[in-house]
Amino acid sequence: MDLFRLTISTLMARRMWVVVLLVAIITPIVFPLFTPHETNTTLLEPARAQTAWTCAWLIGILWTLSQAARFGESNSRSGIGSYFRAQGVGSLRQIFAIWSAIMLFLLPVVLVAVATCLLFAMPANPQEASMWVWTNLQFAALFLLTIGPLALLGVGLASRFGTLIGYVVPTGLCLYGLYGVTYLGMTIRLRDDNKVLEWLYAISPQYHLADLTPRLIFKMGHLPWADFTSFLLYFLAITLVLGCSATLLFRTDPLRN
Amino acid sequence: MTPSASAHPQASVKLSQGLGIGYRSLLAEVTEDIPLENGTHYLLARNGRGKTTLLKTVAGLIRKLSGSFETHGHCQFIGDEFFFDRELKSQAIFRALIPAARREGAFRLADKLELDVGREFGKLSFGNRKKVGLVVAEFRLREDEPNLLFYDEPFTGLDTPAREAISERWKATGNEAVRIVSCHPDFDSMAMPSALLITDGKIFRGGDGNLTWADFKEHLN
Repeated sequence: MDLFRLTISTLMARRMWVVVLLVAIITPIVFPLFTPHETNTTLLEPARAQTAWTCAWLIGILWTLSQAARFGESNSRSGIGSYFRAQGVGSLRQIFAIWSAIMLFLLPVVLVAVATCLLFAMPANPQEASMWVWTNLQFAALFLLTIGPLALLGVGLASRFGTLIGYVVPTGLCLYGLYGVTYLGMTIRLRDDNKVLEWLYAISPQYHLADLTPRLIFKMGHLPWADFTSFLLYFLAITLVLGCSATLLFRTDPLRN
Repeated sequence: MTPSASAHPQASVKLSQGLGIGYRSLLAEVTEDIPLENGTHYLLARNGRGKTTLLKTVAGLIRKLSGSFETHGHCQFIGDEFFFDRELKSQAIFRALIPAARREGAFRLADKLELDVGREFGKLSFGNRKKVGLVVAEFRLREDEPNLLFYDEPFTGLDTPAREAISERWKATGNEAVRIVSCHPDFDSMAMPSALLITDGKIFRGGDGNLTWADFKEHLN
């Protein structure tokens, strides 16, 4: 609990959270105004939803993952990790204390994205509105299940290999899962005899499944519940793999010791 | 009848003869059973002889190579590199880590040490950064439990008045914890009622309660 409080205090002191929160609030309101919304008023609301969630992704990747890496390294190199371990606070409790403090600062960003979609982009049709709410809630859950485990991996990697590795690997994994895997899938469809690529595709994290932006923009409705449950289970399995890797990698003191 | 000073729970460290410390190869070995109780015990040795290794071993941070030891109490290990985030002010560190009931005392000690608690940690001098760790450790002692405090070179970078203030504090609260303090004293008259020495690969206890640094330094090789 002490390490959690210390991490919270550090995040508060860095003050970047203020900028992050302002960006999350202001961008979805301001950016859509650059679209030709005067000539086509139906553009504005989907654009707000798109901006709100794009902003959440960017904050998750650029800020949350970088903070995770920074805390992972500083905990092991500053002597704080050793200090708490001597007191009986083991690796598992330390990594989760750091991770939960970081995630606590991501939650308002997700809430802002959902609130923006519900307050400033809600469809007028009651049936569409109900679907809109559920799509956003599904998106929030899948988004957190993507960034959360990656942040945990970032803390674990950085505590052992430093901030750079702790940031680049989870970020690379996230971008690959969001965009790279789609291209890989297209390549496999064009050359359907490559077993290595098929194997690579099968073990790749399919983070693009967590991005429901197209469903919001084109008002496709929420994910069917059976699909959503499958996605949840899939992301929980990834969470398990990344969580185990992160906790095994996590060190409370530098590698040389 | 008022409670006596010795009413505080007794912590203890017992290093048994044959306890070997080191990372891969043996660095030093305990040559006699050494029982330590509440009070300040200085750990003296030249560079690279195993002071930090011994402290880390008894704090449970690294494995012993042979033999055994026992500790009884809530343990704190304050390494020579114990630093906080650059942007964090000392007052925020105290609020996060020191229980509210003891915080006032922490601020008083910080004031006595001339530590600017409103200044960011990254802007403090090396000596002042060490003071933050010292204050945190001192005021995280648990009131109704035995306490163990292992300090690795806490005086590095501290000026004489600050060292004296810390020594005073240790004297006044000697009954609250076992403190093992590794250091390189820089004045001969520094009193060392109890000291552990590491020299020639041997760890042993020195002193009869009245010795100073001048009496010990000749024995270190």
